[in-house]
Amino acid sequence: MTKKKNIFQKHPAIGFILFGLLLALIPTLAEMGIMKNGYVTTIGGTLIYAIAALGLNILLGWSGLISLGTAGFMGLAAYMSAYLTVDLNLPFEVSFFLAVLIPTLIGILVGLVSLKIEGLYLAIATLAVAEVLRKTFEELGKYTGGFSGKSADYPTLLGLFELDRTTMFYFIIFVLVIIMILTSNMMNGRLGRALNAMRGSEAAAQAMGVNLLTHRLIAFALATIFASVAGVLYVHFVKFSYPSTWSLAMSLNFLAIIIIGGLRSIYGTVLGAFIVYAVPDMFLKQIPFFEDLSYVLNGVLIILVIIFYPNGLISIGYDIRKLFRKLTKGGAKNE
Amino acid sequence: MSTFIQIILRSLETGSIYALAALGIIIIYRTSYTTNFAQGVVAMFNTFVVTFLFNKFGLPLWLAVIGGILSAILTGFLIDVLILRHTKNVSPVAKQIITLGLIMIVLGLAPIFFGVDPLRLPRLIESGDLGILGASISYNGLFNIALGLAIMMGMFYILQRTKWGLAIRTTASNEYVARLMGVPTKNVTMAAWGVAGVLGVIAGVMTAPMTSVTLNLMDEVQITALVACVLGGFQTFHGPVIGAYIMGIVRNLLLFYVSSVWGGQILYILILIFIVFRPYGLIGKKIVKKV
Repeated sequence: MTKKKNIFQKHPAIGFILFGLLLALIPTLAEMGIMKNGYVTTIGGTLIYAIAALGLNILLGWSGLISLGTAGFMGLAAYMSAYLTVDLNLPFEVSFFLAVLIPTLIGILVGLVSLKIEGLYLAIATLAVAEVLRKTFEELGKYTGGFSGKSADYPTLLGLFELDRTTMFYFIIFVLVIIMILTSNMMNGRLGRALNAMRGSEAAAQAMGVNLLTHRLIAFALATIFASVAGVLYVHFVKFSYPSTWSLAMSLNFLAIIIIGGLRSIYGTVLGAFIVYAVPDMFLKQIPFFEDLSYVLNGVLIILVIIFYPNGLISIGYDIRKLFRKLTKGGAKNE
Repeated sequence: MSTFIQIILRSLETGSIYALAALGIIIIYRTSYTTNFAQGVVAMFNTFVVTFLFNKFGLPLWLAVIGGILSAILTGFLIDVLILRHTKNVSPVAKQIITLGLIMIVLGLAPIFFGVDPLRLPRLIESGDLGILGASISYNGLFNIALGLAIMMGMFYILQRTKWGLAIRTTASNEYVARLMGVPTKNVTMAAWGVAGVLGVIAGVMTAPMTSVTLNLMDEVQITALVACVLGGFQTFHGPVIGAYIMGIVRNLLLFYVSSVWGGQILYILILIFIVFRPYGLIGKKIVKKV
């Protein structure tokens, strides 16, 4: 049976670009007063978390490897970029490159470790790596500002364009769309098939000529690159970084994002990020009685989604469509 | 020499705390098949209950601790009955995320019940030091070490020698077959959550006098306990306990003799190198993968 593909299925990039353009309307909406001005910051942060979560999705969703170290790598990149741009006065592009390169090298080292250990052991080993990094942020006060944190400015692109909050928001969307397109292309191509095979059965994948070493390293490298990019964007958007930000809680939040949104789903990851980060700020806090309970409600929401939507909330679309079809069919019979 | 003994004694005290927390994690892991990231926050919550009973209601400390233990059992049961029982079709990673949702709920509820100010909880035995070979340790520290060891011994006796222990071990090895054999696995899992809660609140009451009772009282303990589980291996009940004591001792030795700033990090890196060479921990057995 051949299904007619629509344009979004043939060229997913078009969908991602449209999605980006839609997001780009948000600052305008905020200026027009339809949305609260603070939402721009909330949504910008959410999109940054979505970038890091996409990396983790490649790792956990496609390759079946787990990591609890995402926050550590993101923090390392954030501190490096802040130090390089503020203290060493390097251009944003150079510091961006360095701040992504060095965490990635560490991430590849972790990938080497992942050849030996698996599952829960790997999760907690990466947690230990993140803890080492977090404690280093606390102790290396000279570079990181210790407990009092490190500040950074909005970046200047190419030495010409000084960004402010709104243009930085556009820049985040730009990076997010690029990363979504890259992920979609890689995961629908040879690499994605190889990673999928590796998740299903290592022995079978090897028999089909998939090199476990290279592909595990690639998976870890991609995850760390995405996390580092998110870290750099974070420190230049939020303009501050504390050691306590990059804790186990944050790594767990990334896991929550992809589990709630849907493993191996790109839109699902963004949806998950909105539920974990934006929903408590934008909606739950608006309900008067529940103001103090927003964190609790979000916890309840996460548990309910996992119990009732084990495949991720992105599958809710299919369910609604199915229900709709059932209803219309039922209506037709009655006539 | 006396400093060395001093360090060992102190480490045994912190080691007891880590071991109690690690045992709580491993009991839940073996019966519910999930890593309980919420073990620490639930312990924090129940320590707040103890502190609240002691400070606001003026109960004697031992009575407050008993109150805390009761609330720990209750919270454990509630978590199992309300949430974990309904997760039969959920993937292992998603189950872990459920405990993350629990963390959010507890962290959100605690300030509503107990306020945001840090509270003080005194030691169980207020004063008195004992000198051993030139080293000194408070009676309270000694009590903590003894209590920790006694609880471990008690737990292992129950696990190895009693019918309940057999039920827990059967559930841990294969839940489906255990059910076929007439083991009430639902009750076993529920009891495991209760026991883990009690172990947590005892660890919390031991930790509290060293700092103040705040929302992140147990964060450090929680992470150390998780790493101790990896060091000891998830396959046995005693592995993580041994791992926890080792971590307590080695950390303090490194902090004192090597570097007071980098000791903690060095310990983690040593453990990482160790598990590269022994991927299933000190005691763990290799899991044979079938193709």
